[in-house]
Amino acid sequence: MSTRWYPIYQRGNPQLRVFLPNFWMKLVRPLPKQLPNTVSFQCSMEMTKYDIKNYLEKIYNVPVVDVRTKITMGKFRRDVGRGYVVKDDDVKYAHVVLPKGQTFEYPDLFEKSKDDDEENMKSLEEAKKSFKNYIDRNKDRQDVPSWFSI
Amino acid sequence: MNKLTNILLRNTIALCHRSQNALLGASVVAAKKDFHTTHAAQDLMEFFDSKKNWSENNIRVGRAWKLDELRIKSNTDLHKLWYVLLKERNMLYTMEHECKEKVRLFPNPERIDKVQESMNNIETVVKERNVAYYKLETGETGERPVEDVVSLIGLPEKYEKKEYAIPQFMNTRWVRTYLENGYINSIAVKKFLRLYKEKQHNEERKARNRDFNHVQHLLKRFPDMDMEKLKAEYPNVDIEKAKRSKKARGHFFPKY
Repeated sequence: MSTRWYPIYQRGNPQLRVFLPNFWMKLVRPLPKQLPNTVSFQCSMEMTKYDIKNYLEKIYNVPVVDVRTKITMGKFRRDVGRGYVVKDDDVKYAHVVLPKGQTFEYPDLFEKSKDDDEENMKSLEEAKKSFKNYIDRNKDRQDVPSWFSI
Repeated sequence: MNKLTNILLRNTIALCHRSQNALLGASVVAAKKDFHTTHAAQDLMEFFDSKKNWSENNIRVGRAWKLDELRIKSNTDLHKLWYVLLKERNMLYTMEHECKEKVRLFPNPERIDKVQESMNNIETVVKERNVAYYKLETGETGERPVEDVVSLIGLPEKYEKKEYAIPQFMNTRWVRTYLENGYINSIAVKKFLRLYKEKQHNEERKARNRDFNHVQHLLKRFPDMDMEKLKAEYPNVDIEKAKRSKKARGHFFPKY
């Protein structure tokens, strides 16, 4: 079921079972700062609190004490070129409370790659050098296109 | 030899989308498994990629699962694989979101498409099996019934049936639109249909003229063309008529 067709009523009204859920959830950085046992998610708009609880407990094996959801409206903004109004999609947030002892801290994913700037500068220097070489090589034939060479 | 087994492994075990170089080093025993997954972390950290991929710029992964590969899997395998893919997709969404927040490039965004394609394929296969089962057991497909109806604006439409709180004949508000003085017979709808038919007619006419002109010019340029092929390509064009026309006359002495 999940976001597909809601099943037709059958006699006895059997319990709704989802075999292939297509809900998504993404763990986002909490904003504003939360207690250490609170985790923030963005999730499918169709998910209820019970869905979120079951999703985390059954699929991710994460115990959940409480779920609070909120839907934030997407921003209205003007298109840069044409000036017409664009509305961004609404987002459903789920703030999930873990049991008392458990904590979760959002990891810093880009800690290691802080020395990227050095590498970027290095490759930039190399590119500059090779371009200079190319200019020097073709000093005496400036009007010949670059693809024409022996 | 080792290299060869690695390649074989890569091709036969298809892929777990999480790019694990460990897969390449895995022993041949892994090939016996129906599909290979990484050790489940069973934690909120499952929402993130494995730690060594955090600072990578290029994460290499295999292709998506194909329909034929999924068709030979058992239902339980498909069920398990669905959850693997679901978790993978959540992981990718999380990483993509964080990359956007931190104004970084998200490495290999096509991974999301691959996972999504695999999930779509699984759903197709499950649907196929469901239909086969229902046809065998009940003689019907078991799919949601579809009906040909006339829509509110008078156009033919496929309507997928759904459940309503009250039966059709009791829904006076809906029935009213289809009565003699209802919306379906209103001036607005009639005008719309008239204009719509006119538009369709014009499109047909333009297509007819375009094809006829094109055939004329083809005959002009290539008088010795294979006429049967031309007829097959443009079945609605009267080729004899096109031959006789002035536009089909080339810059050469006529052969007749």
